[in-house]
Amino acid sequence: MDSDDAEVDFRVRAAVYDGVMTSGTAPLGEDLAAQLALSREQVAAALERLAAGRALVLQRDSREVLMANPFSAVPTPFAVRAAGKLYYGNCIWDALGIPAVLGTDARIDGSCGCCGEAMSLAVTADALEPTDGVVHFAIPARRWWEDIVFN
Amino acid sequence: MLLFRSEEHIEEWCRAWSLQRGATLSPDTAWRLARAWYSADRRERGRRRRTVDETEALLAELGLTGPFWALR
Repeated sequence: MDSDDAEVDFRVRAAVYDGVMTSGTAPLGEDLAAQLALSREQVAAALERLAAGRALVLQRDSREVLMANPFSAVPTPFAVRAAGKLYYGNCIWDALGIPAVLGTDARIDGSCGCCGEAMSLAVTADALEPTDGVVHFAIPARRWWEDIVFN
Repeated sequence: MLLFRSEEHIEEWCRAWSLQRGATLSPDTAWRLARAWYSADRRERGRRRRTVDETEALLAELGLTGPFWALR
């Protein structure tokens, strides 16, 4: 990768995170191109390089952003309300990562993976409020990236 | 990674989906893991992924050691 590509990748990644942190939704490729004065092709190539480097996960067909961890670009069962906005985590770990990234209090509205009963978690002043429940990791750490969508 | 009401609900979920039971964390340990994992600003210039050594050290600091948490 040449230095021009590296610069484009940096700008695209920063803009994706800025967008999702500001609005809760990842910007589309065409919006990134307009915002950064790049061509659609330059943005698409940068997104592919960032995905290959595991900095982002792209949607299978559209190649738009699916995950800018810990944020999900699409609604998930891990809704996070923080700073007056609604975000989505990719899993409970990522949902907890959102207040960590934002540096804000947050309420996570999740549910039991088994029975679906609503379960809320609250992060206040950089601490998780005492809560019941257990977090389960199904896949051993060395295989996390083999199927990041399932995981 | 999913949240469950109890260990029994994890067992039931694993049976329903024919999945092996993995590892469990308390919500507070999961929070501390999330806070450590996502501490760096991903918008920073020159940001790079953690090395395997760095990731293992991060996990070990939270007591996450053993075969399930091993990266190699």
